[in-house]
Amino acid sequence: MQTAAEDRIFQALADPSRRAIFESLTRGEAAVKDLTARFDISQPAVSQHLGALKAAGLVDSRREGRCVYYRVEPRGLKPLVDWITHYRAFWTERVGRLERLLESMDQ
Amino acid sequence: MTVSDSLSMDFDLPHPPEKVWRALTDPVLLAEWLLPVFGLELRAGASFRFQTRAFPGWDGTVSCRFVEIEPGRKLSYTWTVPGMDTVVTFTLTPTDAGTRLSLVQAGFQPPHKREFGGARAGWKMMGEKLATLLGRLS
Repeated sequence: MQTAAEDRIFQALADPSRRAIFESLTRGEAAVKDLTARFDISQPAVSQHLGALKAAGLVDSRREGRCVYYRVEPRGLKPLVDWITHYRAFWTERVGRLERLLESMDQ
Repeated sequence: MTVSDSLSMDFDLPHPPEKVWRALTDPVLLAEWLLPVFGLELRAGASFRFQTRAFPGWDGTVSCRFVEIEPGRKLSYTWTVPGMDTVVTFTLTPTDAGTRLSLVQAGFQPPHKREFGGARAGWKMMGEKLATLLGRLS
């Protein structure tokens, strides 16, 4: 039910700073130094958060000269989408059974 | 496609809330439509478990604990499977035709942050931003 990929996503985004950085990146690509300025966190800390997000497959990076730019990797969210899809189907099927059960119950 | 941190569904049922409530809280009835349930005691803070088919890496146990019980109106419990805590909330609203049953499953977070009462924190904040994210990026 729970894959290692999902574990990494949930753990990466459970941290408030990492979540803030990820949300910030959803507005567009940014260099490490931009993020450092934006969040008032030290550059090593920002890099560490970005590393965790990248390990979770949530962001990707490219190097340009001395700068590394990070952007959101949309496919990284697929395990989350899959999880929601799984439970949506589960509950729809179960509530269908509930409806049939209610039909057969006395008031 | 929409993405969200929580799953939310509504069902209109042509039955009175009292009857729906019984189906949500009686272990015999729960086993008929949801899953076999063990140790269920209708008390806030009480733990119980649902049991489904086991498969490799998971024994099929869903560990639960009541968060909120408002008889006939609202039932909320944690829904924990390996690697993830969520909270499932059923809300019953009387309608002319019977009952509107609202189901929300929310509060995803990794197990090391597990903490009773705080289960809805964390992922909730992602909400709407995640909901529009894929659309904006594709």
